[in-house]
Amino acid sequence: MTAATNPVIVAKDLRKKYEEITAVNGISFEVRRGEVFGMLGPNGAGKTTTIEILEGMRDADSGDAIINGINVKDDPTAVKTIIGVQLQQNAFFDNLKLAEIVNLYAKLYLSVVDPVEVLSRVGLDNRKNAKYAELSGGQKQRLSIAVALVNDPVVLFLDEPTTGLDPQARRQLWELVRTIQKSGATIVLTTHYMEEAEELCDRIAVVENGEIIALDTPDALIDQLLATGFKPERRIREATLDDVFLNLTGRDLRD
Amino acid sequence: MKIYLTLTVASLKMYFRNKQALFWALFFPLLIMLIFGIMDFDKYNSPNVGIYDAANNDASKALIQALRGSDEQRLLSIDVYPLDEALHQLEFESTQAVIEIPANYGVPGEFAEIKVIYDERFQQERAVISTILGRVTDAVFKEAAQVPGEYRVENSLGISESFIEGQGKGFKAWLIPGIAAMAIMQTGLFTVVFTLVRFRSQGVLRRLKASPIGASHFLAGQLTTKAIVVVLQTYVLVIVGAIVLGVSVGDGRVGTWIDLTLLALLGGALFIAMGLAVSGWAKNEETAAPVANIISMPMMFLSGVFFPLSVMPDWLTAWSQYLPLTFLADGMRAITVEGAPITTLDTELIGLGVWIVLSFIIATKMFRWE
Repeated sequence: MTAATNPVIVAKDLRKKYEEITAVNGISFEVRRGEVFGMLGPNGAGKTTTIEILEGMRDADSGDAIINGINVKDDPTAVKTIIGVQLQQNAFFDNLKLAEIVNLYAKLYLSVVDPVEVLSRVGLDNRKNAKYAELSGGQKQRLSIAVALVNDPVVLFLDEPTTGLDPQARRQLWELVRTIQKSGATIVLTTHYMEEAEELCDRIAVVENGEIIALDTPDALIDQLLATGFKPERRIREATLDDVFLNLTGRDLRD
Repeated sequence: MKIYLTLTVASLKMYFRNKQALFWALFFPLLIMLIFGIMDFDKYNSPNVGIYDAANNDASKALIQALRGSDEQRLLSIDVYPLDEALHQLEFESTQAVIEIPANYGVPGEFAEIKVIYDERFQQERAVISTILGRVTDAVFKEAAQVPGEYRVENSLGISESFIEGQGKGFKAWLIPGIAAMAIMQTGLFTVVFTLVRFRSQGVLRRLKASPIGASHFLAGQLTTKAIVVVLQTYVLVIVGAIVLGVSVGDGRVGTWIDLTLLALLGGALFIAMGLAVSGWAKNEETAAPVANIISMPMMFLSGVFFPLSVMPDWLTAWSQYLPLTFLADGMRAITVEGAPITTLDTELIGLGVWIVLSFIIATKMFRWE
């Protein structure tokens, strides 16, 4: 087997307990190189904890997390060097300009970048002299992705990247995720929006009570449901309310 | 090292673009200093006299009480010191005369000579002190003369006068180093607490932890910034004090500035460590503010920043002399007012050292990234 066909992420029986609560209860999965892998599940299901273990930000009680052949336990710094991270709650320094923020994070990853070029990848190059507090919600999310790209990551982790964004900004972010995927990175994302998962993800893991209860492509998961004789309550129409909204308000960004 | 420098520069940018922080670090202490500095508190005080009481008997205590006057009518503002301390006060502080009561004062049949040493620069005060001393000893003598068998002060008391030229520079000179010490405390404590608590509650520190170099370098850069600010504000206060209030700094040695820098950094380290401890303890900015205030407010008033410890009751100074800010303010004062080299400040350095070690131990126990 060559490196390219090896899974880029291997999670083996990960477990994590916080005092009385079991957050992660034996999670195993593999992510292939170049795919967008989605983790879905209600709040508190264990998605974020699982991702934080993979990112080297939290130690698992047991089990192994291997990124690009490196066991996180053995060398968390080496793992952090090759991954890009966007956390659920992102904040950057109020008194620095965007270009300065990108530059600062590039230094923290020991990489040299052109901050304007990095900002242009997320469409923020025209705001390079703005301060973080002056950005809209969508721009803030895009900045946090720009910061996650400073080291040309092998794997990019996005934790609820579109939560709180309007439909226009969400669609722009989807575009961005696809572009990053095309450039060769593997992406792991969590979301509460099913149409987002369906739109972006090659495969999906559904997490509940710290365990993976389903894992497959979106189409396969839908087919499996339909095979049980399931009928949606609502009449299926040719368009959604999302389409109505975008048709009325246009697809242009409102930043 | 290069990353540390980059982070320090970034952190300096953040700091100096924060107008509010700049106001509290630089302009607020400056304002207080100038307001207090233009008021001439020296003018309204009764003369400051240091007494060395070698006799320490009932007669000498009665004499001191009489010199002090009643509560309604203060005659002299008196502090009782050991001899060397009294002379030090006369030479460098606001004491204008030292009265030395001999060991045989009030001993029947012996000739007692009271020595008075004046700071020759205060002739007006000299006249007041001399008159009061003459009148009071006269009264003591008359009272004693009415009691049969009591000792005869009449034939056994003499007063001798001598002069030195004191170096004390008055209230303004006394005030400036205290304000500088207070400013160091405020910067160390408040800016560390507020930036770290905010960065933590917003998740900035967590994001830094996700990077390979990460949070400890960032923290180092932040703390370096505070240390630089602490030194800068000390310079600003002392230099503005020199220019606007006309107070000379130290004895004009270059060493004075080096000593001042070193002491400011020590004070900075101390209060930064306290800030780290508080920021670890506090959950958010709302709980951090009162705690930082509870620590700093009493020190502001009990550590001899606005008025000397000598005006406080003894039971209070017994405690307040060990406050961290007291050591820092005393040290700053010794350097800027007396021109003392930092190496001579044993008490202050030991005091600061103990507090620094204590604060860092607590800080490492309390500090949290998230």
